[in-house]
Amino acid sequence: MLTRLKGGRIYDPENGDDGEVRDLYLRNGRIVEAPADPREAKEVIDISGRVVMSGAIDIHTHIGGGKVNIGRMMLPEDHATDLVAANRHPHLGCGHAAPSTRTAGYRYAEMGYVACFEPAMLAGNARQAHMELADTPMVDKGAYVLLGNDDYLLRALAAKRDPEYLRDYVAWTLNASQALAIKVVNPGGINAFKFNQRKLDLDEKNAGYGITPRQILTALADSVRALGLAHPLHVHGCNLGVPGNVETTLDTIRGLEGLRAHLTHVQFHSYGTEGDQKFSSGAARIAEAVNAAPNVSLDVGQIMFGRTITESGDSMRQYAGSAFADPKKWVGMDIECEAGCGVVPFRYKDRNFVNALQWAIGLEMFLLVDDPWRIFLTTDHPNGAPFTSYPHLIRLLMDRSFRRDMLATINPEAQAATTLGAIDREYSLYEIAIMTRAAPARSLGLKGFGSLAPGARAHITVYKDQANREKMFAKPEYVFKDGQLIVRNGRVVEEVHGATHVVHPDYDTAIERDLDTYFDRYMTVRKDNLRVTDDEVRDDGRGELVVHPTKRST
Amino acid sequence: MPSLTVSKGSTDKPAPTSAVCPFCALLCDDLALNQRPDASFTVARHGCRRAAAGYARAPLASEALIGGRSAPLDEAIGVAAKLLKRARQPLFGGLATDVDGIRACVNLAERCNAILDHVHGDALASMSRMLQGRGWYATTLSEVRNRADLVVVIDVDVSQRYENFKRRCLDARPAPGNAPGKGREVVFIGAGKRAPEALGADTTLSCRSENLVEVLLALLATLRGHRLAARRPAGSAASALADLAGKLREARYATFVFTPAALAEHREPAMAAIGDLVDELNRTTRAAMLALGGDDGGQSAVNTCAWLSGFPLRVGFGQTLQYEPQAFATRALLDGGAIDALLWIDAFGEQATPPPDAPLDRTVMLASSRPSVAAQCGVFIPVGTPGLDHFARLVRADSVVTLPLLQQRDSGLPSVAGVLTRILEKY
Ligand code: SF4
Ligand SMILES: [Zn+2]
Repeated sequence: MLTRLKGGRIYDPENGDDGEVRDLYLRNGRIVEAPADPREAKEVIDISGRVVMSGAIDIHTHIGGGKVNIGRMMLPEDHATDLVAANRHPHLGCGHAAPSTRTAGYRYAEMGYVACFEPAMLAGNARQAHMELADTPMVDKGAYVLLGNDDYLLRALAAKRDPEYLRDYVAWTLNASQALAIKVVNPGGINAFKFNQRKLDLDEKNAGYGITPRQILTALADSVRALGLAHPLHVHGCNLGVPGNVETTLDTIRGLEGLRAHLTHVQFHSYGTEGDQKFSSGAARIAEAVNAAPNVSLDVGQIMFGRTITESGDSMRQYAGSAFADPKKWVGMDIECEAGCGVVPFRYKDRNFVNALQWAIGLEMFLLVDDPWRIFLTTDHPNGAPFTSYPHLIRLLMDRSFRRDMLATINPEAQAATTLGAIDREYSLYEIAIMTRAAPARSLGLKGFGSLAPGARAHITVYKDQANREKMFAKPEYVFKDGQLIVRNGRVVEEVHGATHVVHPDYDTAIERDLDTYFDRYMTVRKDNLRVTDDEVRDDGRGELVVHPTKRST
Repeated sequence: MPSLTVSKGSTDKPAPTSAVCPFCALLCDDLALNQRPDASFTVARHGCRRAAAGYARAPLASEALIGGRSAPLDEAIGVAAKLLKRARQPLFGGLATDVDGIRACVNLAERCNAILDHVHGDALASMSRMLQGRGWYATTLSEVRNRADLVVVIDVDVSQRYENFKRRCLDARPAPGNAPGKGREVVFIGAGKRAPEALGADTTLSCRSENLVEVLLALLATLRGHRLAARRPAGSAASALADLAGKLREARYATFVFTPAALAEHREPAMAAIGDLVDELNRTTRAAMLALGGDDGGQSAVNTCAWLSGFPLRVGFGQTLQYEPQAFATRALLDGGAIDALLWIDAFGEQATPPPDAPLDRTVMLASSRPSVAAQCGVFIPVGTPGLDHFARLVRADSVVTLPLLQQRDSGLPSVAGVLTRILEKY
């Protein structure tokens, strides 16, 4: 059936539409060319005056896998005040900062999101991560697999194995864990923490292997380039949260020497040491460096005031952060000679100097990075704030006077320490459409996403244009996924199950023999049992597997 | 789902590949099986007593029982649906099943307003309480194997409960590079001679179970440099404690291994003390704990229930979710007469039977072995064993690795998920 969405104002940066009034036609889950006679459309939905964008994409949100589940189990107090009633969603659930899988899927859809990416999957925990993603309805999904703290890679680097060998290992890991991209977290630092190192600078050697974070970053960025993955190496850098880490982040950008990288939750990596409290904003310096480095993209990891939980693979930094746990409890783990994790509940307080300045630093970053194609809207859910705060964040970016009003309420020393009040920039709807749709789709290589051109998947969000952008973005009037109406007036009307996006780059199978030997000798699981099959991801037909091309596969 | 059938026949032919054992939460994945004429298996390699007993069970005949009378599966499913539909407050207990089984339980529980608890619910709830109260620093099997230079096993006969733990984590050679420098020392704290001997412990700090908490706290005080009031705290010489404290301080990676279920009534204070010991050590060196537990699908049940509902079991489904870690214990519900129907699941066939005071005539039991109470149950439905009769996924004791268990034989027995989905369709 042909459906016509009539009279909407189209914001489609992929095709240069900046509010043009144009009808959209959908058929069989795709956007199609306008027919010669509009009356061919059997269904017409009048959306005159409405703001129309493609479906939103969250490039970095912790929604599935071991540490997310620890967060859920750890925080019944988070859920008690946020229980979903039986008539609200197709299934029960709960949770503000650590929502159950189904609730997360419904809430994302209700905000107009059609795809979400879990950025920190472990190969050893990939099966569970995929099962949780399979139980996250409504949205398409995918995951980035962690490398760079695994003993296997560090041993290979220490043994000076050639780059081709590392690429094969990276490709095998992507296949085995059914991942879309590679992420590195505190390169070598999580491993170093197992050897009782408490910090690891970019050029400091891991005590076990004598390898530096810089070597790991370069090796992985090279592998990602050589395999031809659409998404660049996803980097959670060294020294997260440490005052002065702005220097580390600048060094990291320089050290890439033009190799592509995506720097994640940069807000947490942009701290200087100026001022009485030895904590200051490094946002302007980072933004300047990013503006000059077209090989770099970033997401912000904006914080919002209130209760949340921080869930990170960075056991080293989370150990340090555990001193500030609120409530006083936290979980740390060393994991399978591969990774680690730290789960720390936290409350960001607007009266607290450091928290208030973190808030301002994130916003400075959004406003000082010029190119919306290279900066994505995230709160590093739930580390900076739950994803449900995105509409509020969008209002802060789009509405200068609202932003200044909010600024006036935070810790006064933090107000004095930020340039935020002097920044006039306001994001336009077009720029919001770039940073939440078109740019993440491009960055991840998601064909058919982030676009409203004929041929694109019919992922469409329709908003009532309201001066209060928070209200507007919190409750789209219509959300279509693959042409199907799934949300009406901010409420799920149809439960659907999204696809899982992966890459399957080829590799020399000789690596498998080495890995078999290594796993059989040293690990407590056999190599082949880590492999998540295509059938498992398809989950008895409930899900779909979308394999994206790479240089090493089609 | 992928399946694999091993060679059939009476001769003990080696299996073409390794099987993953579902009979405890270690999920050893290097077993070799041989099938016998009755479709049971012998374990040719890397098994243990528990595995041998589990694999030796032949699959049940497929017919169900309704009030003790043989009935076809379809009819039993219809009666089960009615029984659950009539109930005001059903309990889904036992829950000895795989991830897909728990997924199906949650979906059915939403319809019946059921409460979920596991046969090892008390021990699992203690872990949840620790997680929600203080948290912990934990480690996993491969880390212990490769990194731990000092392993302190606390009051559990690991060789009885988790026989292959020693082989896989303590005896195995660590990978070069992250190897404990001077080899691995194993210390046992607890009662008796058998456990430390079977474990091959290098040192034993013997103490009776009822003194365990006191000894752990004395060890903690020693570590913190406090003077002990008693020269022999709870029967352990202060010098032995000082000795162990010294070893812990010097160790590069100390691991405390315990089994929540075995700690019995001292469980929660003992676990808190272990958590404190780890925290104290992590101030200057590295340490972690490893809780061995969650058998009979316990780890899978807790994790799956948590991601689907937000809560780690003892959750009730209704207008909203309700989490009552004490009131929703199977024992408390039965004592209070709060439940009027029971769905009891024992897919591993480990004789995890309903408590004797359960309302058996209003019980739907799904199991892979037939206990004597089967005939007294309102409905008894034979199901397959996960990883023997059907593909399954199970979460390992360390709650990190989730293993795929391929089908090993073609018994035709349905999975728990399959049966519950059909009950839901009839509901
Ligand atoms: S230790 Fe557990 S998992 Fe391993 S073989 Fe024995 S019963 Fe099976
Ligand atoms: Zn993150």
